[in-house]
Amino acid sequence: MNGLVQILDGNTFVVSDARGDIEASLTDPTGLFSFDSRFLSTWILTVDGERLNPLSVDDLQYFESRFFLVPGTGTVYVDAKTSVIRRRAVGDGFHEELTILNHDDKPVDLKVRLDAASDFADLFEVKDALEKKGHYSTEVREGRLLLSYDRGSYVRQTAISATAPAKLDKKGLSFAVHLEPQGEWTTDLDVVTASGAGGTYTRPKYQRGQRKAQPNMERGLDHWLSAAPRLETDLDSLKATYRRSLVDLAALRFSPPVAGGRSLPAAGLPWFMTMFGRDSIFTSLQALPFTPELAATTIQVLGDWQGSRVDDFRDEDPGRILHEMRYGEMTAFEERPHSPYYGAADATPLYVVLLDEYERWTGDRRLVRAFEREARAALAWIDDYADLMDNGYISYQRRNEDTGLENQCWKDSWDSISYRDGRIPGFPRATCELQGYAYDAKMRGARLARDIWKDPAFADELEQQAADLKRRFNRDFWVEDGEYFALGLDNEGKQIDALASNNGHLLWSGIVDKSKAKRVARHLMGPRLFSGWGVRTLAEGQGRYNPIGYHVGTVWPFDCSFIAWGLRRYGFKDEAAVIAAGILDAAEFFDGRLPEAFGGYERGVTKYPVQYPTACSPQAWSTGTPLLLLRTMLGLEPQGDHLIVDPALAENIGLLALLDIPGRWGRVDAFARGRVEVAPELRRRARA
Amino acid sequence: MTDPTTEFFKDLDARGHEPLLEKATGTLRIDLSNGKRRPRWLVTVKKGDVTVSHANAKADCVVRMDQALFEQIVTGKENATAAVLRGLVAVEGNSQLLVLFQRLFPGPPNGRKQS
Repeated sequence: MNGLVQILDGNTFVVSDARGDIEASLTDPTGLFSFDSRFLSTWILTVDGERLNPLSVDDLQYFESRFFLVPGTGTVYVDAKTSVIRRRAVGDGFHEELTILNHDDKPVDLKVRLDAASDFADLFEVKDALEKKGHYSTEVREGRLLLSYDRGSYVRQTAISATAPAKLDKKGLSFAVHLEPQGEWTTDLDVVTASGAGGTYTRPKYQRGQRKAQPNMERGLDHWLSAAPRLETDLDSLKATYRRSLVDLAALRFSPPVAGGRSLPAAGLPWFMTMFGRDSIFTSLQALPFTPELAATTIQVLGDWQGSRVDDFRDEDPGRILHEMRYGEMTAFEERPHSPYYGAADATPLYVVLLDEYERWTGDRRLVRAFEREARAALAWIDDYADLMDNGYISYQRRNEDTGLENQCWKDSWDSISYRDGRIPGFPRATCELQGYAYDAKMRGARLARDIWKDPAFADELEQQAADLKRRFNRDFWVEDGEYFALGLDNEGKQIDALASNNGHLLWSGIVDKSKAKRVARHLMGPRLFSGWGVRTLAEGQGRYNPIGYHVGTVWPFDCSFIAWGLRRYGFKDEAAVIAAGILDAAEFFDGRLPEAFGGYERGVTKYPVQYPTACSPQAWSTGTPLLLLRTMLGLEPQGDHLIVDPALAENIGLLALLDIPGRWGRVDAFARGRVEVAPELRRRARA
Repeated sequence: MTDPTTEFFKDLDARGHEPLLEKATGTLRIDLSNGKRRPRWLVTVKKGDVTVSHANAKADCVVRMDQALFEQIVTGKENATAAVLRGLVAVEGNSQLLVLFQRLFPGPPNGRKQS
């Protein structure tokens, strides 16, 4: 990311340049951030008044990095007689060990200086460059430099201190350093954050010599990796991708204040280290066969925050699952609605889907019983609050017209929903995948009602509603002259007739009539949607198609993983294997870390996947994608207390074994051999 | 005539059982300040069964704020979570109790915030 270095712990993170310096402006995204506020916007190291030059950076862990630096003019390197090492670990602020080495045979005296300041910007301000409304103050007290910002009762503070003797002033810390020949000087620097009036400072999580993840053993990376199933395969790149996914998923774990120390997947690093309904649910679904505890926390936390009242500013309704939670100044002063914001139309039915899928894997009936009320409220929301057009379909239209979201589905950019000819429909909009999720939620809710809540009458009712929804949907959304499902219905109930990847989510939900499934699969694998790497969000030839348009032509790995799952659900095993192979091939180009999206260009034309420029990497549901693809390739499916293994994977993978898959069966192993032929020329052509 | 705060707690106590608190077990104390007065409300929850008193007892979660603000919250004119983020509400102890409890506060009148 343009020479920027990121380290993080939960939702505290540091973004700096390759020297370890932070030199932020309101629009520049470097700094120390915590709970959506910037606590340090200047952190510049100089030696004898000069900036340093980077030799190398080691990313030791996702929460720790080390910078090797030398003094110099910046253009021509002098033969450095001194070198500087900064070792930084983030966690409740950050801890930095600054070490200076004298390589000369003469002693040397150096003026070492750290400039420090904070603009206390809200993350939203960093994105939108807005003016601050509060007051700043700076003071030196009891060996600490205190940077403060207050806006009435809203107070944020940063305290900076050093272990070596330092002269503190309002703009930073100075050290007079004397080094003997071959000598070494070092100091520890602590930067800690506090919120609220009279805030008390804790120590940073990491201190000198402590380099293991500290919060508790459950969160330790080693423990995390050893608890996940072991992957063995002939294909080295797949092994690397799998490991990368697990490590990134560990970094993306976020412990909201109410989760009792347990964690759920945040949406993306670093800007989206917060609760997102949709992203947390999709990622939990992808990771279920590997790390089911993420799903449990997601169910609990999203359930605790479930909407309970009608609030237009937050687009909140009773039973609705939140979209996004934020903690910064603009949220606090209701300049943004994220306290939390509920404007998502898919998270609520998906919540029920996750609850059922979680139980199918883990057999944890206790959790399903505990969240019965929330699941029922979510199911009730579908009928009571989401049917805005009174036509039996979920549709969305924001009530917060200033700062709410226009498109409340996963394709949430302004132009993502369009007709075939490129026109943009009015509101409300009933996108097709929402109906699929609603169908799936009702079917799965029925199973839970019958088996666990012991309410067969409710189960019957849900099944009846689902059957009715499926019948109407296959009639109302089917585009006769195209033989696919419309992207949605518009505010007049007419088809928004573009061909889009949403068709794959429909297969996943099970709402598609068997008689139509083959035609849907043919589109997904056909040249207009399938690029050779994956399925384009919008088909080539549609009015708004653009191979590098955010939701109108790019390929989203997460989208493809659910499409592959959908294809398997309808028996298209080989087709699912082709998509899995394409996405995993693409992962190789990104060292196993799939981006949020890449260009929809034909694979044969570009030969490599063109990354879409995006602020977040890793992105949670891209990180979860290889996991779900492993599940679909192996054909893993819980059936009662057994795990069915029914593999179909690409030839080039060779042998594949996933060992110790956790679930209600204890731990089982799955073995497979690649047999599906996926020649490059075939990857571009329809096979269905 | 009773004030909105008293009414809110009386209602809650009269209901005896609150489905939105069925996952909660513990005590939540709300310490209000109103000039020189310091009214306290102790809410005891056992899997949704609720009793309210003025007992000055230790609680699993203690919340402190001005009574005027609390009145705004229980009448839907202020949002509790935003008020916490602004630093107007001090929270000590088990904050999950407060997350569950805040669901009892009403939305803005007619769903809309009065400006």
